[in-house]
Amino acid sequence: MTAERPAPASTTPSTSPPAPVAATGSIYDLGYQRYDGRRLGRPFAIRALYIHSLKGTFGIGRGGRAKIVPFGLLALAVVPAIVAIGFQALLGRAGAAGRQIEAPIRFDTYYPYVQTLVMLFVAAQAPELLGRDQRYHVLSLYFSRALRRSDYAIAKAAALVSAILLVVLVPQAIIFVGLTLAGRDVVDALGENLRSSPAILVEGTLVAVLLGAIGLAIAAHTPRRAYASATIIGAFIVPPIVAAIIGQAARGDLGRYVVLLSPGDVLEGLNAWVFARLPTNQTVARADLPGPLLLAVAIVATALLFGAVLRRYWRIAA
Amino acid sequence: MLAAGLAGHPLIALDGLTKCYRDVRALDGLTLEIEPGVIGLVGANGAGKTTLLKILLGLLTPTSGRARVMGFDATRQGTELRQFVGYMPEHDALPPDLSATDLVTHLAQISGLPSDAARERTAEVLRHVGLYEERYRQIGGYSTGMRQRVKLAQALVHDPRLLLLDEPTNGLDPAGRDEMLDLVRRTGTEFGIAVVVASHLLGEIERVCDYLVAIDAGRLLSAAPLHTYTERTGVLLAEVEDDEGGAALAGALSRLGLRVVADGRRVLVEVADSQPYDAVRDAVVDLGLPLVRLEQQRRTLEDLFRDRPDGVTAEPPPGALR
Repeated sequence: MTAERPAPASTTPSTSPPAPVAATGSIYDLGYQRYDGRRLGRPFAIRALYIHSLKGTFGIGRGGRAKIVPFGLLALAVVPAIVAIGFQALLGRAGAAGRQIEAPIRFDTYYPYVQTLVMLFVAAQAPELLGRDQRYHVLSLYFSRALRRSDYAIAKAAALVSAILLVVLVPQAIIFVGLTLAGRDVVDALGENLRSSPAILVEGTLVAVLLGAIGLAIAAHTPRRAYASATIIGAFIVPPIVAAIIGQAARGDLGRYVVLLSPGDVLEGLNAWVFARLPTNQTVARADLPGPLLLAVAIVATALLFGAVLRRYWRIAA
Repeated sequence: MLAAGLAGHPLIALDGLTKCYRDVRALDGLTLEIEPGVIGLVGANGAGKTTLLKILLGLLTPTSGRARVMGFDATRQGTELRQFVGYMPEHDALPPDLSATDLVTHLAQISGLPSDAARERTAEVLRHVGLYEERYRQIGGYSTGMRQRVKLAQALVHDPRLLLLDEPTNGLDPAGRDEMLDLVRRTGTEFGIAVVVASHLLGEIERVCDYLVAIDAGRLLSAAPLHTYTERTGVLLAEVEDDEGGAALAGALSRLGLRVVADGRRVLVEVADSQPYDAVRDAVVDLGLPLVRLEQQRRTLEDLFRDRPDGVTAEPPPGALR
């Protein structure tokens, strides 16, 4: 992995000190063993940190209490999907008349519903993911290894985005399977649902990346979990209120574009664009901003927020 | 015997190393070359020890000057260098809700060890530092001594060529201190890993190190093998029973042309050859004084800081350090 390596000449496995075992019998003191096996370097280290962090986001490997919040929120995200499937099955039994009624929770209406849960998930778990290492000064153990600071930030960001993707895609997968099996003709239903899958994946990714970036950028800047969680929740719920008020009061373009300040509204608008439907949220519907603009705003915001995370880790003392 | 370093490269080479924080000069023009061994880095709190260790790890960028470790430029090749360095920070650095095994295994993987090897090495290293059954419990319930051991274990798990220890006995009781120092000593001598121990306690450095680097206010005070600090000095100490006796003896000796300093009952005589020994014996007999003690004085490490000259007294580091 590196061109230069300290000469391994005298680093062959040596069991020093010579173990005086035979006489006393039971205890085999092999002493310190040298390691001359493979060293897999940065890519492996990033992967290891990613997996460790992703598990940590769900509290795996960290005792029972750490699992309550993430798995509770995951369950809450899954429940409406199961309800939707049941509803669909009932409609199917009701015959042709029932099929005329639209199910309340479908691929395209699911994200606006689950957004609040994702926000809570981010507010709870992003500070766990980043704040713990700062709070307990673990960063110095990471940064004193063959890992760059940016590697750390990338692995942590990937872990949070993956965790959010799990929270949003698992229920969608349940809806997908349910709708397919509940369809009159399974093959037809599968084909129809598959046509929705690019939109499901695109919107899911947008939700995970934008909300994740907001959570990361805030959580990276404080070791205190309570501050970070409160700030993240604030960043999610205050802007839409402000946007709604200004949208009501202001006339013309200001009232429309103020929606761009609210991540929830931007995602709602993107959801409508991606699934080619009308937004349910009145503020977003009234603003009626073009999809590409919303997408550009989401991408630029994500880039800026992740830039702030990287900058933080370049500067943080370790 | 020691395996640290690329062939032909010194373990550590500093050239005019300076680090400034806003208005503070934490390190001021350190120039130094060190060969492998157990090296003590000693200085008061705030002398710049931690700053120096972090520069050696490539975690801090020097304001000017250069640091090379095992041939790597610490600033520009930090990532490559850190594969071969283990670092035990001074402060507590352990997450409370992981077990020692899980944490050290994870950190071994971050050092690039494949998962199987990481688990094996973790078990070995934790046993080596003296953590047995408790290694499966969460670190939050550990004593300070156990936490220090975990910190040492994570620094050793990837089998570094150089170990940087920052105040490894911090917060330990006397027994824990002894055990930690013994571990450090053994790691350096039996396992062939070069060790730099930063400490503000001279007594500890004296017990484990064979080379000493002393810094004060960011400047190099001295760098030499430990034994050169405690060598015999050219001073003979004669102690008699009371102050008057001391004054009488000093008077008698100075009349013989010797350079003498009287310090109460104690008389210090400069020694050039064996003549002063005889002179002291004769004078004591002549004056009928009860002689309590006659010995050649040894310097102690404390003298280094007590008699600090204004300038820098870096002795050129002798190449032979085993």
